Amino acid sequence: MRTAFDVYVERSSWIHQLDARVKLLFVLLASLALTLFSNLFFMLAALVLVQALIASAHVPRDRLVWVWKAMLPVNLFIPVLWTVFYPEGPVLYELGPVSLTPLALSRGLGVAARLDAIAFIGFLWLFTTDQRSIVRSLVKIGLPFEWGLVLAISLRYLPAFQGLYTLVVEAQQARALDLTSGGFFRRLRARLPILVAVIISALRMADKLARALECRALGLEGVQRTYLHDLQFTRQDYVLLVALLVGFFGLVVLRVLGLFTHPLYVFPV
Amino acid sequence: MAPKICIHDLEYAYPPLTPGGPPIPALRGVNLHVEQGEFLSIMGPTGAGKTTLCLALNGIIPHSLGGTFRGDVIVGGLDTKVQTVPTLAARVGVVFQDPDSQFFTMTVEDEVAFGPETLGLPPAEIRERVDWALGVVGMSDCRARSPLRLSGGQKQRVAIAAILAMKPDVLVLDEPTSGLDQRGKVEVFRAIEELRRREGLTILMVEQDAEQIAAFSDRVAILQAGQVVLVDTPSAVFTQVEVMREVGLAVPQVSDLAVRLNERCGSTYTFTLFEQAYEALKGKRMGGAMAGRRDDSADERVDHCSPILQVQDLWYRYSDEIVALRGITLDIEAGDFVAVIGQNGSGKTTLVKHFNGLYRPTQGQVLLDGQDTRVLAVSDLARVVGYVFQNPDHQIFGATTREEIGFGPRNLGLVGSELEERVAETLTYFGLTEYADAPPAVLGFGIRRKIGVAAVYAMRPRVFVLDEPMAGLDEKGRLELMRALQAMREGGSTIIWVTHDVKAVCQFARRVLVLHDGRVAAYGDTRAVFGAPDIVEGAGLELLQITRLAQALASCGMRRDVLTVDEFCAAYLDGGRERP
Repeated sequence: MRTAFDVYVERSSWIHQLDARVKLLFVLLASLALTLFSNLFFMLAALVLVQALIASAHVPRDRLVWVWKAMLPVNLFIPVLWTVFYPEGPVLYELGPVSLTPLALSRGLGVAARLDAIAFIGFLWLFTTDQRSIVRSLVKIGLPFEWGLVLAISLRYLPAFQGLYTLVVEAQQARALDLTSGGFFRRLRARLPILVAVIISALRMADKLARALECRALGLEGVQRTYLHDLQFTRQDYVLLVALLVGFFGLVVLRVLGLFTHPLYVFPV
Repeated sequence: MAPKICIHDLEYAYPPLTPGGPPIPALRGVNLHVEQGEFLSIMGPTGAGKTTLCLALNGIIPHSLGGTFRGDVIVGGLDTKVQTVPTLAARVGVVFQDPDSQFFTMTVEDEVAFGPETLGLPPAEIRERVDWALGVVGMSDCRARSPLRLSGGQKQRVAIAAILAMKPDVLVLDEPTSGLDQRGKVEVFRAIEELRRREGLTILMVEQDAEQIAAFSDRVAILQAGQVVLVDTPSAVFTQVEVMREVGLAVPQVSDLAVRLNERCGSTYTFTLFEQAYEALKGKRMGGAMAGRRDDSADERVDHCSPILQVQDLWYRYSDEIVALRGITLDIEAGDFVAVIGQNGSGKTTLVKHFNGLYRPTQGQVLLDGQDTRVLAVSDLARVVGYVFQNPDHQIFGATTREEIGFGPRNLGLVGSELEERVAETLTYFGLTEYADAPPAVLGFGIRRKIGVAAVYAMRPRVFVLDEPMAGLDEKGRLELMRALQAMREGGSTIIWVTHDVKAVCQFARRVLVLHDGRVAAYGDTRAVFGAPDIVEGAGLELLQITRLAQALASCGMRRDVLTVDEFCAAYLDGGRERP
């Protein structure tokens, strides 16, 4: 069963094979770079580029559609609200108190496109990096191992909790618990038996888990943990790392020169 | 050479549940020695201290759980009082009952590598150990899969491999097969047997299946109320049928048979294995009349005219790929006692969840008393159909047992003295009065199970659906529960009961529904269904030992449809020919 918590797409594309740390650096630098600029066409170009990258990783189209659907409110509200509340420059059309200005509209669209691009950059990482590598990369860049383990176990147990919750709801409904009638507070109160049973079961689960971890000798003193699959930089990773840094530096230079900071024009006006 | 495991006068009590409360004694002077390379099984009723004993072997007791600990546990020369848990855990591997709570990673391979990684082994050696451990349990082909998406038997084999990869000296298994179907059980036992044959590991296994114990272990220890009351070879233990019954444990059916035949015809049989019984009895003349026959003839409690539940071409899809039910049509008559059996994933739970409206048909319909369940709310259906969930912890929330049992009736609108009376009556009926004011969540599993059933019983449903009510119960608990169900049936309820427990089915069910791959493989009288081994085995289920024995002896005139040891005895002693 697929759950919403695991979006990884198992493929063997060039992006999948990259070191998770390089991809993480890409996420950080690319997102940072996008915040430096506010040109609509720059953002659209970035959006097209990141979509092309995701496509080159053989991520199926329905995943892209899924992200677009999730971003729909952002794409609707930001341009509309921006246009309504921050009119600037020449007016194209007037409707009562609301004036449509191309400048405000392009600013709104630019902000939405920037958020879209950042979202897709993040999902590029999640689509192409399995949970093991995600956790491992975070531990490698300094997260304590125990925190990494907690993160891994949380990811692992989210679907289990979802299943537990569903079962408990069913079990209490089977005892004639009515969750649908009455006002807000009554319905909230009706959820109490569910909450309590879930918490008790979750505590039991945590208890078992703690014992199982102890049975795998976790916490052995004086031993440095090793890894069967450790992250290893390959030549590709080094090349990309350099390319990323150079690219980012180049963009910073453009920003200093003031390019792509106007919503519609490349050069500052 | 000193024994591998020496347990000397071990006494242990869990810390009190409430500050200032009394400690909870679990072990009361256990003495046990296990030799290098020995396979020792441990049997005992619920609450005897079996799991506690397992946890004492790798130091989780007392180091992690606290409590008061007296006596000595020496494993491979290490005193568990002195050593830390991780040091011991690397030497004494413990596998628990529930495989799901033993997994932390996303792939089978990572799971098995986790232990060796903790030990800080070089990657090449980890690789070697992972390959070896997965090979021993026969799971090499599944290394890239998520442990969550495996079958029960596969999961438990991965859990065993994950412990094996640490190369422990001693392997401890705490009821590793109790949640599994027949196929899963066989898989796990085969893996354990393979391990013992190839590696000569010392194995300690808590298990309730006497027939498997007889087949695999060197010795059996019987644990009762925190003490070892008996420890000997399986044949020496299982021939003491009376002692075992007193403790509340099952023996292999052939052992039971030997004792009864000896009583009745002065023979001196001692059987612990199927083969022994078969060899001794083949060639004897035996017959078909069954004086002690289980009563399953006409039953006036069953109303043949008006089915209470009608299932018509029922399909249920979880998703496009996962189709749980594929066109089920059947009637369940009012007052009937129906067991639903089948492998894990055959659709049993999915089907019965339609009976109280928790699931709605993807296609087809389910009629309760002639009314389509789709138009009724679950909370209304709950007035008629009571549903006991597999795990009692999924419904327990009350601060007291009284509150827990009163929850359902209160939802149905009962108040005041009527409610109190209903609760008091239910408490008495299930013998739970002494726990009335205790918080149910902290009571033992057997009691929680009972409370789960009682809480639904208190709603007085006309139809009673139970999902695996016997799981985790000992022989005594199973019989008590079955008697309660039979009494409810006397009171006019219809009982529908999902189970893996073929023995209880053969003893108690009037009709059996066999599901296989979302379809009805067989539905009929218990005797008729089990008399046709092809269908039962085709659905991945195993016949009882006694039924298999009867069928193996059919050429000597034995009936093929024997369901209990009593029936076998009667037919055997009848000595006549199978009736036309």
